Amino acid sequence: MNALILTGSPKGRKSASFALASKLAEGLLENNVFVSHEPVHAGLRTEEGTRRLLDAVDGTDLVVLAFPLYVDSLPAPLTRLLELVAERRTRVASPGTPRLAAIVQCGFPEAHQCDTAVGICRLFAERTGMRWAGALAMGMGGSIGGDIGRLPGGGKHILDALKMAAESLAKGGAIPVEATTLFAKPLMPRWMYTMVGNLGWRMQMRKNKARRPLTYRPYSQG
Amino acid sequence: MKALVLDGSREGDPLTPVAVLGMTSALAGRVADVLLFKLRELAIAPCKGCFGCWTRTPGECVVEDGARDILRSYVGSDIVVYATPVTFGGYSSQLKKMLDRFIPVLDPRFTTVGGEVHHLLRYGRYPKTIGLGTLPSPDPEAERLFSLLVARNGLNIHQTVESIVLVGVADPESARSEAEALLDRAGVTA
Repeated sequence: MNALILTGSPKGRKSASFALASKLAEGLLENNVFVSHEPVHAGLRTEEGTRRLLDAVDGTDLVVLAFPLYVDSLPAPLTRLLELVAERRTRVASPGTPRLAAIVQCGFPEAHQCDTAVGICRLFAERTGMRWAGALAMGMGGSIGGDIGRLPGGGKHILDALKMAAESLAKGGAIPVEATTLFAKPLMPRWMYTMVGNLGWRMQMRKNKARRPLTYRPYSQG
Repeated sequence: MKALVLDGSREGDPLTPVAVLGMTSALAGRVADVLLFKLRELAIAPCKGCFGCWTRTPGECVVEDGARDILRSYVGSDIVVYATPVTFGGYSSQLKKMLDRFIPVLDPRFTTVGGEVHHLLRYGRYPKTIGLGTLPSPDPEAERLFSLLVARNGLNIHQTVESIVLVGVADPESARSEAEALLDRAGVTA
């Protein structure tokens, strides 16, 4: 079996999405699945890269979309790739029936804010003849950075959920509900996440030597 | 009153341009200015996810392209219309490339809205959001998801929204009539 992980974050290998997807890839490899990893934003910048992405989708048994929540859905380049895949699959006589799974993380504390994005991925799978294999969605993605090990408790429940998902996907199954529930478990109390986040924006401004106040209104002064 | 219409139609999409035509003519009878952006003709880069618009140049994206003019118009508008082919229940990539660039209009700090965490608002007022989707044939699941997505986008700016999906509407008069009803529901009056 082979799997294709499509990372839909503009930050590529430095992203939380890549960090999560890499752990899933490790689990798949341990279960004898050959895994390839493609960054979507970089791929879509050229015709050759776009063709490579589409060919990779054509030739795989399992597609995993790993992305950050952007405005309640998928980042635009990943949406573009889904459009292109859908167009291509209508033109091909026997496009195959790969499975499709998703890993979504958002910067808000609540994992359920990813539900619309998961719904879009599921509908994409169903409307293009792929088989939906479930999703892992989490909130508090802002605390991951590029390193899951830095999370409270070493990110144990996240890693456990990814391992469970990998084992099931490798056997041809879907992501178990238990893994989805575990992955969605908050990493810390909501008040703590928002307090640290609010302080973090100020600290980042200082680091960037921002010359405007945080509340600046460039398009309507006053 | 001013209205901003974001046309997220894709190349070869026969229905969304008709929906946009119906909406702009309905708006023309109710507001003084209607500004239309055909997004697929504009060079708008994808969001880099750098948060520079919050922590480097607050309120403004660090990328200088067509998105800035649209954001300026957005802040100065009373109504914004998201016109799009419903794409697996979501927006087209053409509309989404612009919506991803909207985060500078928010303040990064967190607050609670409807029991869940969202961002604070940067501006004192925001345009009323109207979702205008198109589909070639009925797809109740896609229609439901689209409506939910527009509603969730409304939560981001702490407002309730209106949306509609026009199914197989290919003539401008029918599109206009649907748009009039939608604007009535949204409380947009002359």
